[in-house]
Amino acid sequence: MTPAISVAGLSRRYRGQLALDNVSFDIEPGSITGLLGRNGAGKTTFMRIVAGHEFASAGTVTVLGACPVENETVLRQMVFVREDQAYPDFRVRHAVQAASWFYPNWSHELAGALLEEFGLPPNRKVRKLSRGMRSALGIVIGLAARAEVTLFDEPYAGLDPVARQLFYDRLLAEYAEHPRTVLLSTHLIDEAAGLMERVMVIDRGRIVLDAAADDLRGAATSVSGPAIAVAEFTAGHPVWDRRRIASQESAVVAGALDETDRARAAALHLHLEPLTLQQLVVRAAGTPVAVPQERTSA
Amino acid sequence: MSTWISVARYQLTDRYVFVTGPWLILALDFLITVVVVAEWPGHHGHAAYAGALSAIYVYLIVTGALGIARQLPFALALGVSRRSFYAGTALLAVAVAAVYGLGLTVLQLIERATGGWGLNLHFFRVPYLLAGPWYLSWLTSFTDLALMIAWGMLFGIVYRRWNLMGLLSFIAAQVLALTAVLLIIGVTRDWSGVGRFFTTLTIGGLTGLLAALTVVLLAGGYATMRRVTV
Repeated sequence: MTPAISVAGLSRRYRGQLALDNVSFDIEPGSITGLLGRNGAGKTTFMRIVAGHEFASAGTVTVLGACPVENETVLRQMVFVREDQAYPDFRVRHAVQAASWFYPNWSHELAGALLEEFGLPPNRKVRKLSRGMRSALGIVIGLAARAEVTLFDEPYAGLDPVARQLFYDRLLAEYAEHPRTVLLSTHLIDEAAGLMERVMVIDRGRIVLDAAADDLRGAATSVSGPAIAVAEFTAGHPVWDRRRIASQESAVVAGALDETDRARAAALHLHLEPLTLQQLVVRAAGTPVAVPQERTSA
Repeated sequence: MSTWISVARYQLTDRYVFVTGPWLILALDFLITVVVVAEWPGHHGHAAYAGALSAIYVYLIVTGALGIARQLPFALALGVSRRSFYAGTALLAVAVAAVYGLGLTVLQLIERATGGWGLNLHFFRVPYLLAGPWYLSWLTSFTDLALMIAWGMLFGIVYRRWNLMGLLSFIAAQVLALTAVLLIIGVTRDWSGVGRFFTTLTIGGLTGLLAALTVVLLAGGYATMRRVTV
């Protein structure tokens, strides 16, 4: 099967600084992938290159089997919703109407329903919208376009929790009804974790983590309790991190735990808690060394 | 082609840039000129040459610049290629120039028929440039209006591609080129040569030259557009 997005050796250099450093991966069609990473990690640059808005310094990108740059056939099947989108001096209904002209699968019903659900006034000027409402407008366009490749870059900056939940629900419903390839970048990782089938973490222009979301659930566990018990339990396990307060200790154990481990933990009166996706991402994107390391507490 | 038409519609969605703006400016400008000429104490049936028609030409530079700089990012987000965006906008520019040129020609005919709006005002009649038969006035207006929009578009593209510093350098380069030409003429003291050039050149010939310049600007805009990023 042709990958929806295929990237090989992609680099982008800005005045001596590498925004993307030799990135390679494929994204299968009909999947939701989370693109996570810190500010300035290269997420937006990556999406701009995929959308053909920016040019690569090296490497190749293909979308639906062809180079997206100035390729009308590919571009017609791709929508890019970005946080910092600049709009012409349009009213909300103008922006939605204009979008409908360029997408063959555009759904007027869905656009109308979403506008209402997000409470977007059709006659308000886009520049008069609050940040959250502007994000909502991007979401309306991104979903109603029903484009085969849908790129969401921080789509819900400034959106309230109710509207965010609406976005998650609508995205999943749309995805189930009209499968497409979604690439979603976000900082609200745990909130969106349920959506993602695959997680990619980008840091300083490199992919530092790329795994199926299911594999990451339970990939590391936090073990806490009396220091002596924790030490006994963690012996023989790779440990990422240890924190100790008085006689209590908490350690992060890498790798999945089996039933025997759980039974031992229960016997030692230890508290087990799987690391959330967000904690894993923070670990992947926040530490310079990815190799598990022992840290001794003095 | 259908994408080009959609781009033209997209450009007309905000009516101010291509439609309301130029005509609003021209209407205001015309009203002010009429009031001034009517109230001018020394004006007793003498022909009044306003030169104020230039307002719509200058405004169309703004139209071209806004048509690119403000409209481009969202169009690209909607999956329009640079090529289609440029072609659709250029198509609209040419169509707008043709229609507006015709409008100016009709207004010129009215001005002739009413004896310069009863004031002997030469607003839509410009000596040498817009003084011939109606079809020549139309052709000249059409060409000049298209040239202005194409020039404006180039400003918009340069701004989008190289940001503010690029735009400033682009303007500075044009000012320098103009200064150099004037300096050369001044140093060689050949103003009469310039005069000869324009007296031998018919308005039809000048229009042809300006049409060629428009084509060059449009081609230059396209070449610059191809590597624009948003």
